[in-house]
Amino acid sequence: MKNIITLSVADFKLIFRDPSLRSFLGLPILLFALVIWLLPYLAQTYPGFEPYISVFMVVAAVENTQMFSFISSMVLIDEKENSVAQVYGVVPLSNSEYLLSRLAIPYLFTVCLNVILFIVQPFYHIGLIENISVSMLVGLIVPVYVIGINSIVKNRMQGMVYIKAFNLIVLAPIAAFFIPGKWEWIFGLLPSHWVFQSIQNLTNGEEVWMNLLIGFVFLMIMFLLLSRHFLKKHFN
Amino acid sequence: MPEVRLTSNKMIKVEDLQFQYPNSDVKTLKGLSFSIERGEVFGFLGPSGAGKSTAQKVLYKILQGYTGRIEIEGKDLKDWGKDYFSKIGVGFELPNHYLKLTGRENLALFGSFYPNSAIKDIRELFEMVELQDAMDKPVEAYSKGMKMRLNFIRAIQHNPDILFFDEPTSGLDPVNAQKIRNHILDLKANGKTIFVTTHSMHTADELCDRVSFIVDGELRATDSPQTLKDQYGKEEVRVELKSGEIKEFALPSIGENQAFIDFLKSGEVSHIHTLEASLDEVFIQITGQTLHV
Ligand SMILES: Nc1ncnc2c1ncn2[C@@H]1O[C@H](COP(=O)(O)OP(=O)(O)OP(=O)(O)O)[C@@H](O)[C@H]1O
Ligand SMILES: [Mg+2]
Repeated sequence: MKNIITLSVADFKLIFRDPSLRSFLGLPILLFALVIWLLPYLAQTYPGFEPYISVFMVVAAVENTQMFSFISSMVLIDEKENSVAQVYGVVPLSNSEYLLSRLAIPYLFTVCLNVILFIVQPFYHIGLIENISVSMLVGLIVPVYVIGINSIVKNRMQGMVYIKAFNLIVLAPIAAFFIPGKWEWIFGLLPSHWVFQSIQNLTNGEEVWMNLLIGFVFLMIMFLLLSRHFLKKHFN
Repeated sequence: MPEVRLTSNKMIKVEDLQFQYPNSDVKTLKGLSFSIERGEVFGFLGPSGAGKSTAQKVLYKILQGYTGRIEIEGKDLKDWGKDYFSKIGVGFELPNHYLKLTGRENLALFGSFYPNSAIKDIRELFEMVELQDAMDKPVEAYSKGMKMRLNFIRAIQHNPDILFFDEPTSGLDPVNAQKIRNHILDLKANGKTIFVTTHSMHTADELCDRVSFIVDGELRATDSPQTLKDQYGKEEVRVELKSGEIKEFALPSIGENQAFIDFLKSGEVSHIHTLEASLDEVFIQITGQTLHV
């Protein structure tokens, strides 16, 4: 516990002292502004807009995950690039403690953002239990993304390229909402599809548990596989 | 007669250590065997690319997948858990710090993983290597030598029993290099077991109780620097007169050597020196290679 706090404090110092990372902390403010002010305005002004609100909610919730996905990915790429990661390899800190202390705060922070987002959005009545459950699933995108990026890239330059690609992959299943019928299941190969579907269940007042469970299992398996790979190379 | 078993004083014991990087098609370590006594300063002396850093990385568990046997205090390295890392301190070959954090923040961050009681006073550590004025500056404002000194104090801050120093004086000016060597000798005086790598014969000569010559992933000789020099140098003294005349005399009972005394009186002496080999020369004789490329 002490380790988690010390490391998180250090991580926040790293973020606040790096202008390119610091600016990303503003992303959720922008998203909240869009959802609270712009979307209701659009819905009022253009009557045909209404059916798309739930898609916008999906995008907003997923974009909330992109803040820490980007920031934490960069922090880890940086520490690998200038070999600070090696030092974590020779201190009395187990692999799972390391992962937990680097990812727990970004995860919890993202979950909180989405819980708040689903509370303050003016369009739907969403139960708190469902809200928290779905937000916990959406947040899982962060650790999978961060560990995924860091299993692949070797430096900051590569990082920027792969982050763009990852953003596209995460958002790709949005298309499922516009493609009719059977084809949307293709997107089921991407874990974010199940996250999206459960957010949509939430906004439509439908049963969320099926998509939630599939998404959870999918992301957890991905996380376990990727972290094994990541841990093998991060410290040397 | 029953065999008397003494408790071994070996801190580190390595037998037939072999290692190959996954992306390489040759073995980097080709069967190293050596041991380090408790309280000893042991060194690997060898040219660039010999495998010094690789061997240390295997020992501090950053590299996995070796063959052979490694024992630390009689226990297989593979059986040590994370308590191993409280026992060891690692001085990395190159500076590795968070550039956006200050020196103090860097040290405190990595110090936080050890029990509080073990951690040395942070200000004293910085004063030890004369970095106290830079303590609260971000490491990105440090010079290479300053970062290396920060590496050094980070390695010792939790008072470990075993220390690995990979080229501890590289990138340092002569004054600071000497200070670090003195600190290493102080650590030895405090009973620490120390494993250094170097390609400087001076460092090896001054610090090491025993040194192994390492070339191409193999150890060629292991002994005290003095013994190595004695074996390959001549126990003689060379006297040169201003006239240019030169003679060599055996060192044993040289005070009673009349020829030596007569030669000293026969003219004005310009040089006298022993024909002890330098570690550099011994290295070339044993390995057929030079230390510096
Ligand atoms: N990550 C790696 N992958 C593949 N080969 C490596 C790797 N690191 C080192 N090597 C190779 O292993 C050999 C030994 O390298 P090592 O760094 O152990 O040498 P060294 O004795 O420490 O040299 P130096 O004095 O330059 O630090 C070299 O041939 C090097 O090219
Ligand atoms: Mg080296």
